[in-house]
Amino acid sequence: MITVTNLTRTFGTFTAVDDLSFHLEKGEVAGFLGVNGAGKTTTMRMLTGFLPATRGSVQIAGFDVMRQSLEARSHIGYLPEGVPLYGEHRLREMLEFQARLHHMPRREAKSRIAEVLARVELTDRAEHLIGKLSKGLRQRAGLAVALLPSPDVLILDEPTSGLDPIQRISVRNLISELAAEHTVLVSSHILPEIEAVCRRVIILHQGRMAASGTPEELMREFKRESAVTLEAFMPDPTEAARLLGTIPGVEEVEQGERLGIHTLFKIRCDEDLREDVGALAAAKGWALRELSFEKPSLERIFARIAFEVEGPTDGSSDSGPRDSAPVATPVAAPIGGEPIEMTPIHSELPIAGAAAPVEPKKIVYNLNPFDKGRDRDLGKPKSTGGDDS
Amino acid sequence: MRGVLIVFRREMAGLFLTPLGWVLFLLALVVNGLYFTAYIQVTGGDVGTSLSLALGDGYPFWVVMVLLPPLLTMRMVSEEARSGMLEFLLTAPIRDVSVIVGKALAATCFLALLLSSNLVYALICSGLGATLDWGHILTALFGAVLVSGLFCSIGIVASTLTNTPLLAAFLGFFLNVVMLSMRFLEGALKSFDASTREALMRKVDIVAHFQGSFVRGALDSADIVFFLAWTSVFLFLATRLLEARRWW
Repeated sequence: MITVTNLTRTFGTFTAVDDLSFHLEKGEVAGFLGVNGAGKTTTMRMLTGFLPATRGSVQIAGFDVMRQSLEARSHIGYLPEGVPLYGEHRLREMLEFQARLHHMPRREAKSRIAEVLARVELTDRAEHLIGKLSKGLRQRAGLAVALLPSPDVLILDEPTSGLDPIQRISVRNLISELAAEHTVLVSSHILPEIEAVCRRVIILHQGRMAASGTPEELMREFKRESAVTLEAFMPDPTEAARLLGTIPGVEEVEQGERLGIHTLFKIRCDEDLREDVGALAAAKGWALRELSFEKPSLERIFARIAFEVEGPTDGSSDSGPRDSAPVATPVAAPIGGEPIEMTPIHSELPIAGAAAPVEPKKIVYNLNPFDKGRDRDLGKPKSTGGDDS
Repeated sequence: MRGVLIVFRREMAGLFLTPLGWVLFLLALVVNGLYFTAYIQVTGGDVGTSLSLALGDGYPFWVVMVLLPPLLTMRMVSEEARSGMLEFLLTAPIRDVSVIVGKALAATCFLALLLSSNLVYALICSGLGATLDWGHILTALFGAVLVSGLFCSIGIVASTLTNTPLLAAFLGFFLNVVMLSMRFLEGALKSFDASTREALMRKVDIVAHFQGSFVRGALDSADIVFFLAWTSVFLFLATRLLEARRWW
């Protein structure tokens, strides 16, 4: 239903979307994830034909969005970010306008308007001015407008922003229901939402597809993120680590620090091995203090990709984020509680007795037309600050 | 064509649903009424001449034509680009040209309504016993609507160039003044012989085309084509600029 091939979009020298390719089947619900500026909205705009692609192509329901634009557009229901609606119109008028744009016969439009209004629970607001609706209601009104022509493809840019938790759940349910009849592409910052609604997740980072697949597949791909944590007292921790390593399914055992008399172990494994570890501990008579299993969440995977935080594993997978260079970023704590490498913070304030900081030399171009007259070398930068010679 | 009518209908509703439309309507009617009264007094009660003056022979007509269309069209693209409505319209299954033509047509119709207030004055005067040449009046009105269409299309071009409606309005005023000043180019064309100069001037002189035929009561197809051609040029330009916006 949606076929994207080598889609690239540049704005001047900045590449917003870089060589993106994916395919969505009918009835598939896909979620676009990415931090701000990852290229989600630009991609969605290219899918709807609003923005032309610098390279690559997009096919919606078999129509090329640039070459057979009108045919492709008639198969798309689009809810842009910010929900643009004519504020001076009543909701019913706006829906009638959308029906006319999509060449719906009057009678069909009337019944369909009633249907979509009921679906987004706005039947009682049909005669209200859109400009007077609250943000959440406006968001639902936008959804009604996008849904009205019953399009094959629904492209929703942040459909739940501005909604309260109850409305969010109802929109989430609505999107799940829509999956039966439409191909839905949703972008959101709210990960649990995507996880709950979408059968497929596409994670964008810096305009490139960082990962794609079902949430389960992604978790499997990042399976080495899962681990059993064991904290116990034993006479010989080194021997214990060796024994833990012999349990089938264990990939790696990290012996952590000693907390009083207890020692912390992180056992990397594909599946939940708590029972095996517990049995070993019981057999060896170790005094257990903690035994827990940590599943890789989509949030954790997303954070890892988005922040390029290197995980504790060697990254044997050949997926995108593992190829990227590790960046020691003093970012917000990655979910999962791994130690974060922090860069030291330098105070800007001068410290008494300390050596005066060396001021970096500033390079500026001399734009003074009276300086040195015509002998002035315009191409040469003039240095100021420091020891200007 | 269907797309044009859909956008036209929406824009007409938009013009009458916002205070700006009504304020402009009121102002233009007041100015129009005052000038018509003044013309009646100056011409010593000659209703026909007064209507000719109100519909293009008088200087205030051109002031209104320069000022009003940009104020009507300034929001049509720039405001929508800013609010995101343009994204909605340009992803709907209608052509870009339908969006542009529909908007220009709505602004022209709004001006046509304003100009037709002169018909009310004519009807009142006729009721009071004045003898009027209705063919002449309607031809002048038709010509005035064609001129409005041209200035509205220029206003739409200005609106596609910026996201700030006020800037679009000023740009529109400027372009309108430039368009009207083309007739003064004659002085700069002294190096050409008289016939070439005349031929060139005929291609750009709006005032001469309008006052030379419509205001005199003559319906000349050449003049109709002249206005429609210039309007089409600006509508084409606006459509191209709208397409170019996607690349900005």
